[in-house]
Amino acid sequence: MADEGALQNWFCSEVLPLERALMAFVRRNWREQNDVADIRQEIYERVLIGARAGLPHHASGYLFTVARNHLANRARRAKIVSFDMMADLEVEVRGCAFQPEPALVARDELRLAMRGMDQLPHRCREVVQLRKFEGLSTREVSDRMGISVDTVEKQLRLGVRALADFMHGGSGKIERQSRNSLRLKRGRP
Amino acid sequence: MSSLQDIEEVAADWLLLRDEPEWSQDHEARLQAWLDQSDAHKAAYWRLECSWRAADRIRALGPAPTMAGPWRRTILTKWQPYAIAASVAAAVLGIPATVHFISTAPTAVSGYRTPLGGHEQVALSDGSTVDLNTATIIRAAVSKRQRDVWLDTGEAFFSVQHTGVPFVVHAGSHLVTVLGTKFSVTRDGDKVRVAVIEGRVRVSNADTHEPSPTATITRGAILEAQGSSTLVVQDAETRVQRSLAWRDGMLEFDFTPLGEAALEFNRYNEHKITVTGKARSMPIGGSFKPSNVHAFAELLHDAYGLQVEETPTETKISD
Repeated sequence: MADEGALQNWFCSEVLPLERALMAFVRRNWREQNDVADIRQEIYERVLIGARAGLPHHASGYLFTVARNHLANRARRAKIVSFDMMADLEVEVRGCAFQPEPALVARDELRLAMRGMDQLPHRCREVVQLRKFEGLSTREVSDRMGISVDTVEKQLRLGVRALADFMHGGSGKIERQSRNSLRLKRGRP
Repeated sequence: MSSLQDIEEVAADWLLLRDEPEWSQDHEARLQAWLDQSDAHKAAYWRLECSWRAADRIRALGPAPTMAGPWRRTILTKWQPYAIAASVAAAVLGIPATVHFISTAPTAVSGYRTPLGGHEQVALSDGSTVDLNTATIIRAAVSKRQRDVWLDTGEAFFSVQHTGVPFVVHAGSHLVTVLGTKFSVTRDGDKVRVAVIEGRVRVSNADTHEPSPTATITRGAILEAQGSSTLVVQDAETRVQRSLAWRDGMLEFDFTPLGEAALEFNRYNEHKITVTGKARSMPIGGSFKPSNVHAFAELLHDAYGLQVEETPTETKISD
């Protein structure tokens, strides 16, 4: 039974660095691209539940096994499964599982954080920098920049999520469309 | 089940609230309860936290480095135009800019770093110079009113211009305060060593939890501190000089155990030297180029008859 600290540590250092490969895998194997982020989250949830019983030795093999099972279950539920797809899943898992990306060394991580910072939209970057480098509170950032507390909060929230996306191998561009519009697009409940 | 968007936004809100001044025990308990509710919450929160904290390390380093080599970038100076604009506005309106206002305007912080095996001299705006040894990171904030340098890791030699304003080196919780002098500071985690080549310096511990006496050391003395314990070696002029040989691009040893000498080499190179057995305590002397591990190993083999085994990543020495 892994304690929560060890679990978190393992998740951050072993699983999250695989996010780029995971996202590519899900994208290739799931038609509805709007579901991809949700699927990632569901996979992570299952990864944590499983790993709590004992941390897996090979994060990569484990992650992609969970991912494949989850996609298969989801496909079954959605009744869109085809034999082609299952065959693809098998191949992909074999291809991915044995090419773990090397864990980021601290310096790479720092560079990545900096690049992530650079690609934030202008105002968002300013807000995040004031928070990060000068340790200003939301209130103080709002006073300093002459913008509302509400705007600062919005920008910070965007910054947190965009930085996570970028650092874990995504584009760092966060869709700002609301959940409702996403639902409408999907045309499913 | 609430969707990812919802969970991620709540997670982001918690993460941000955590950095706010009003964060309390009660918040902490509520966050914990929210995390315990579901592994989906944990996954989202940990994922965001992981990258958000990684970005904290940029702050720990001060300004952003460029991709490689010595770097210098002043993100914080960005905010100076605001301060200047504000004081210009104040002047136009006939309102005197107060001292308080000036003191809150942040001083530009410049960061400098050297890679493994690097050596760089940096000139500060007050006329002082800093020599950075291998794998060293410093940040400097120098203005007419105060002079602060943070040694984040590594070793630096300071030649401080006398301007009447104290020059403070922050090495972890240790503060080295001088007016005008020449000295070096080495920092490895909480271990700090100060060697003085000229003048006098004062070393104090800023850590309020562990009050420790202030030590003043002068020319030829070396102070070693870890946490609240401090050791001062007086009259160690040759040792001080020797420990500063890196400024001439050399390592100097004099009856130094081979094990320690190897560690010294390893500070400069990816290619590591490992020494095993009795060879570790064998005293050696001489001057060496830190990058030339091969010549050093050859000498050990020829002069001392030690076994040397070289692989692409390391040199193993044994008796």
